[in-house]
Amino acid sequence: MSKFKQIFSYSVLILASVISIFPFLWMIVSSTNKSVDVTKGRLLPGSHFMQNLTNLLDTVDVVSALINSAKISIITTVVAMLIASLAGYGFEIFKSKSKDILFNFLLLSMMIPFAALMVPLFRMFGSISQTVSMIGIDTLAAVILPTVTTAFLIFFFRQSTKMFPKEILEAGRIDGLTELGVFFRIYVPTMKTTYAAAAIITFMSSWNSYLWPLVVLQSPEKQTIPLLISNLGSSYSPDFGVIMTAIVIATLPAALLFFIMQKHFVAGMMGSVK
Amino acid sequence: MKKVLALFLVSILLLSACSSGSKEKANSGNAKDTKEITVWAWDPNFNIKAMNLAKEAYKSENPDLKIKIVENAQADIVQKLNTSLSSGTTKGLPNIVLIEDYRAQSFLKAYPDMFQELTGSFKAADFAPYKLAPTSLDGKNYGLPFDTGVTGLYVRTDYLEKAGYKVADLKDIDWKKYIEIGKKVKEATGKQMLTLDPKDLGLIRMMIQTSGSWYLKKDGVTPDIAGNAALKEAFKTYKEILDADLVKPVSDWSQFVAGFNSGDVATVPTGNWITPSIKSEASQAGKWAVVAMPKQTGINGSVNASNLGGSSWYVLNIPGKEKAMDFLAKTFGSNVDFYQTLNKEMGAIGTYKPAAEGEAYKAADEFFGGQKIISDFASWTEQIPQVNYGMHTYAIEDIIAVGMQDYLKGKDIDKVLADAQKQAEEQIK
Amino acid sequence: MIPAKANQNLQTTKSGRKIRVKNAAIGWSFVIIATVMICLFYFYPMVQALILSFQSGTGTNLTFTGIDNYARLFKDPTFITTVKNTVIYLVIQVPVMILLALFLSVLLNNKTLKLKGVFRTAIFLPCVTSLVAYSVIFKYLFGQDGIINIMLMKVSFISEPIQWLTDPFWAKIAIIIAITWRWTGYNMIFYLSALQNVDESIYEAAKIDGASSFQQFFKITIPMLKPIILFTSITSTIGTLQLFDEVMNITKGGPGNSTMTISQYIYNLSFKYTPDFGYAATVSYAIVIMIIIFSIIQFKVAGDKNE
Repeated sequence: MSKFKQIFSYSVLILASVISIFPFLWMIVSSTNKSVDVTKGRLLPGSHFMQNLTNLLDTVDVVSALINSAKISIITTVVAMLIASLAGYGFEIFKSKSKDILFNFLLLSMMIPFAALMVPLFRMFGSISQTVSMIGIDTLAAVILPTVTTAFLIFFFRQSTKMFPKEILEAGRIDGLTELGVFFRIYVPTMKTTYAAAAIITFMSSWNSYLWPLVVLQSPEKQTIPLLISNLGSSYSPDFGVIMTAIVIATLPAALLFFIMQKHFVAGMMGSVK
Repeated sequence: MKKVLALFLVSILLLSACSSGSKEKANSGNAKDTKEITVWAWDPNFNIKAMNLAKEAYKSENPDLKIKIVENAQADIVQKLNTSLSSGTTKGLPNIVLIEDYRAQSFLKAYPDMFQELTGSFKAADFAPYKLAPTSLDGKNYGLPFDTGVTGLYVRTDYLEKAGYKVADLKDIDWKKYIEIGKKVKEATGKQMLTLDPKDLGLIRMMIQTSGSWYLKKDGVTPDIAGNAALKEAFKTYKEILDADLVKPVSDWSQFVAGFNSGDVATVPTGNWITPSIKSEASQAGKWAVVAMPKQTGINGSVNASNLGGSSWYVLNIPGKEKAMDFLAKTFGSNVDFYQTLNKEMGAIGTYKPAAEGEAYKAADEFFGGQKIISDFASWTEQIPQVNYGMHTYAIEDIIAVGMQDYLKGKDIDKVLADAQKQAEEQIK
Repeated sequence: MIPAKANQNLQTTKSGRKIRVKNAAIGWSFVIIATVMICLFYFYPMVQALILSFQSGTGTNLTFTGIDNYARLFKDPTFITTVKNTVIYLVIQVPVMILLALFLSVLLNNKTLKLKGVFRTAIFLPCVTSLVAYSVIFKYLFGQDGIINIMLMKVSFISEPIQWLTDPFWAKIAIIIAITWRWTGYNMIFYLSALQNVDESIYEAAKIDGASSFQQFFKITIPMLKPIILFTSITSTIGTLQLFDEVMNITKGGPGNSTMTISQYIYNLSFKYTPDFGYAATVSYAIVIMIIIFSIIQFKVAGDKNE
């Protein structure tokens, strides 16, 4: 790599990083400031973090909201990975005319805005509540079920499988592995980066999801983190210092998860299986 | 293979674990158990606090009733209510809910039979008359009037003095005079007169209500835009204020608050609920006063009193409604002592007239140079012209906001209003 | 449900038909859970929404009005404005963002690069950052006396502050910047994960043949990543046509509907105004139709024949 190229790469990446990270840093700085300073856009760290934190912990139950959000996001991510990768694998490896039609049909489900599905979905869970209260309104299951399978993820797994070296699957079959064995022993380990990307994206969208949990969860003790933050802003004179503190606490898990998972995006990982 | 099974088992276990964990409480919001009622409201410093005080006051009366107060942002409450009510699922609905007056008619008409009639459970004549129109439908009371959105003009006395004005000079003025003063203040201090958020027409709403006018005719359904003299005057005033460069543009609530907290503007024309935010900048103590809202220039019957926002309590027609009605009637509906506490504890101004006689209303506020602001607001409350907000305040406001942009760009005012009228008539049926 | 035994007799063609049936059964069993879940939680409510789109009225007072709602779309100036706005966002923003994301991911995929993890995390952060924080800071940055105006004025790029959020034209630009800022890192992740599947030796061969970086990018990287580029452009198109969060939180659609999107209009029809869920469903289906058209175009352009 030439010197020029190197300088060019670094300056572009540094610039992109600075622009990207600025609001994030400001958010952290703001969590140490008084409400008035936050609204004025103060850029320097202050000394109010502990006070903001105490106020936050006194007024709302952040811990249980974090636990609720974690439960929902972890279950959603694990189950979603399984269902979507099985389907993505199935659609691509066992390709057939009728499956392609089904696949395109499933893609349709991505195209409607969620707002349009909310009322029918709510009615559906309302009637489920009468018989099976375990998955009815105001349960975590009701939050998870409608969002755990997305055509989006199936589509992603299928497109990634297109670039997958299929010969190695054949090798596995010849070695006498069952079809599920091929999937779990060969496909899953080889597709590690795809799983990492999919898990990050799924966790993040589940962690931040707002509209559906808002309508389906009723009891305050089941509240998730985004709902809690929304409530903090419900006042005519919201305390932005406290809100920013809550946001920092809410954002860190997702950011941390990304930092841990991104190690899987190392060039040449595929080399090991070639 | 084993791995698959294990994964499946784990996920199923997890799923069932979290759903069974919530099962025990599944009935809590359902009000099947009528020993408990649920209340939804927003704003912890105001509505929630008031509800908690009401809960305390009611405890001596009826210690058995458990009252669960759930805090949600207003937009969230609107979404949850609409989704539940329109799906016909009553599970999880609260017994009592706070609804903004501008939206009340739309809820009452969109979901007939879902709200409990309250006629007779409180004396309607005891409440500020302007609150009764939005809270009733077909002559029946559905909402129990709560806070007032009575407006005032918060002014920086120090800035005014620099421009040679006293607070008395701003009492009972009209908008023409306001602009005149504004220009002088700008000259003397370099400060803008007010902040405006171009996507929020609250100022227009305040202006037209001083003249007893609204976006809709008295029936609450027919758009009243073209040929509405008060609205036309409000548009003109709005543009004059902008043209005179008296405005610091803002784009959200926090910037609005920052505008006066950092001393960038000389006045804040808004609802009395802003008082805590004004007072949050302690260094400005003694520099503020509140005067009555300016009235419209050249409009007959325009008064120096208006309203912005404000909300009322509603009871849903689900099991537990009797208890909920009784609770409201004995607290917000009739209890003078309770209103005194409300006032002492949190400076809240209700719309219950008998409460205004109490001592707490006459307290002087040192932040406002010893002005008895509560009593001033209370007296303005009684003068607010009664208008029917009808069903479509926000739908029409979005149409008018487009018209306002056209008008500011130079389109003829009558054409702007006529076009808006046409679009409104087509959109709302 | 779970595919049980292997199709190890894939090659043995004793009785071809039987095997094909068995293979088909295994293939179907991989996709069955997903299909059932999507039918239950997407298609069932979608059908209900479709029925709803032929009704009109406030709240629960709905009556069947036939295709009136669909006819209303063409006469509704607000709807037409929102379609225009949304298409402007789509046409300008999606290509810019995808190229930017591709470019960054290629830079980041360089083996010799140091601090890769830090860069990756930093660029990904915008889409993790809470919308609330992001909207407060954007409103502040783009404010009348916000940092962006101050900086632009310092370098004498402009003489007067730009009315970023209060002027109809600049507000659109601000929204486009905001979406690009938030979603570039997100799309980059898909490319990064896909780049791992590209065989290094192809690049080595190209280098030996004397291909420049540019040539490598256009002749190797882009064709190799085609399935994922197609995926991200379709999902970004869907995301932009359903754009809601950014607009709702930064400009609320203003000033005067100049930044309002179709999705926000659906929200307003359902929740801000007196609810008309029937017409809201109609507008939703208008989005569905637009997305289908755009997706077909993209599949055609990408030449992805699912061969």
